[in-house]
Amino acid sequence: METVVRIENLVKDFRPGFGLRKKRVLHGISFEVKRGELFGFIGPNGAGKTTTLKVLMGLIRATSGHAELLGHDVRDAEFRRHVGFAPESPYFYDFLSGREILTYYAELCDVEPGKIPEQVEKVLGQVGLAHAGDARLRTYSKGMLQRIGIAQAIVHDPSVLFLDEPMSGLDPVGRKEIRDLIVRLNTEGKTIFMNTHILSDVEQICDRVAIIVEGRIAYAGALDALDAEQKLFDVSLSALPGDFAEELDSRYGALSGRGERVTLRVDEKQMRELVQGALARGARVEEVTRHREDLETVFLRAVAGREGEGRA
Amino acid sequence: MRQIRAIAVNTVRDAVRNKVLYILVFFSLVMIGTSALLATLSYVERERILQDVGLSAIRFFGAAIAIFMGVGLIHRELERRTIYTILSKPVTRTQFLAGKYLGLVATLWLQLAVMTLAFVCVSLAAEAPLGRGHVIAFALVAVELALVVAFATLFSSLATPFLAACYSVGLYLVGHLTRDLRAIGATSDSEAVREATIWIHRLFPDLSGLNRVIEAVHGLPIPAPEIGFALLMGVAWCVGFLLVAVVVFERRDFR
Repeated sequence: METVVRIENLVKDFRPGFGLRKKRVLHGISFEVKRGELFGFIGPNGAGKTTTLKVLMGLIRATSGHAELLGHDVRDAEFRRHVGFAPESPYFYDFLSGREILTYYAELCDVEPGKIPEQVEKVLGQVGLAHAGDARLRTYSKGMLQRIGIAQAIVHDPSVLFLDEPMSGLDPVGRKEIRDLIVRLNTEGKTIFMNTHILSDVEQICDRVAIIVEGRIAYAGALDALDAEQKLFDVSLSALPGDFAEELDSRYGALSGRGERVTLRVDEKQMRELVQGALARGARVEEVTRHREDLETVFLRAVAGREGEGRA
Repeated sequence: MRQIRAIAVNTVRDAVRNKVLYILVFFSLVMIGTSALLATLSYVERERILQDVGLSAIRFFGAAIAIFMGVGLIHRELERRTIYTILSKPVTRTQFLAGKYLGLVATLWLQLAVMTLAFVCVSLAAEAPLGRGHVIAFALVAVELALVVAFATLFSSLATPFLAACYSVGLYLVGHLTRDLRAIGATSDSEAVREATIWIHRLFPDLSGLNRVIEAVHGLPIPAPEIGFALLMGVAWCVGFLLVAVVVFERRDFR
């Protein structure tokens, strides 16, 4: 599959104020995003998410390392007609209407003049703002601005879309609408790179993630692979004979339940032993399910691990 | 080219919604109108007083508007963070700067046209003569405004609006004094003073070369080579300032 975003050993130093001391914000990060993916770039506040995105958008220059978009150096402006970017809490010229601002951005993206009105109407409809196209942006709510932010990013029909915290500050309904829109755009074939710290959104819609903590990549890969290293299973048993329940509790530590039905979390080898043992003792095996670690657990572990390394 | 035009048009749209612009244009029109009243206080050369005050008001308010709007030209885009969405499009930083500059110059020339119209109306009402000298004077004011916007744009890409305004006002004043300074320096006995004033004159734009108010008002001839040199000097300084602004802007991080 074609690589759309390639970042190799990216380092970014900032010089706070006029001093000579540098502050390293990105410590040689590397990862890739493939065509058609919905990629979540997650990390706590100040981890370096927006800095990475700004390097990719050519807004800031990397100190060292390499960043490539669609096979081009990120400093090359020409290829950006295939790229859309919606910044966090977007600001626009509030004296313009929704329709005017989209026309302006379409002109900047070199959309054919004859096709601009049609494209603007299409995009206004896609983001659910067809009714508010003539209203000045100063009258828009935060949710509407967020949508117009996405609209300006897709007005030229780019193949890659970068979204910085697209759902921040939105109410649950607004979040769902934006989430659905992102999924729809991805289904239409657009590669989507999404910066966020809202893990539930990532878990619901992303194919792959990279977790960045203190300017270092703590994890990069498929969401399915998050707990692939250690497979855990939840085994539910009932009709336990005699003192079998106590025996299991002392050996494996019951996860929940007492008496009639217990659930235990065990690894693969233990699961086989447990199921065979339970059946041999006449107990009933109600359910065996693969336990999946949620993203939040992995994320918090990555943050804690990085902080631990930092203190050491 | 399309990107530059789009940014320039949007800059004009942004500028014409600025209330301070209207206030400054209003005061300049008041000054032009007042010049007719001032002229009535004199028994001699009424038309010349009228035109002298009117033309000076146009130059002063034109420069004030150019500095006021120029120093915030880039900073406003950074402060409003609108620059993020623009530079993430297929727009180079040079195109962005060129579009902003041309948009503001177009705005200033538009307000210069309004003030010129008021000046012509007042002059015609007072039966003051209008001629080729006035056309040249207004053309050179237009070049001067473009030059002021060029250095204000440079400072705007470097510093905060307050500092950019200080630098711009300073350079504007120095630009109007260098020729006099050189003339004074030439009378000095000290070789070092003479050399220093010559170099100051060379290193800063000579804005007094673009001031032909006296010739226009008094109907004095303005030699064509002098007009050509003033225009060339104005355009060269504009290009110079903008090139430096581009170099500075290209290296900047937008954090």
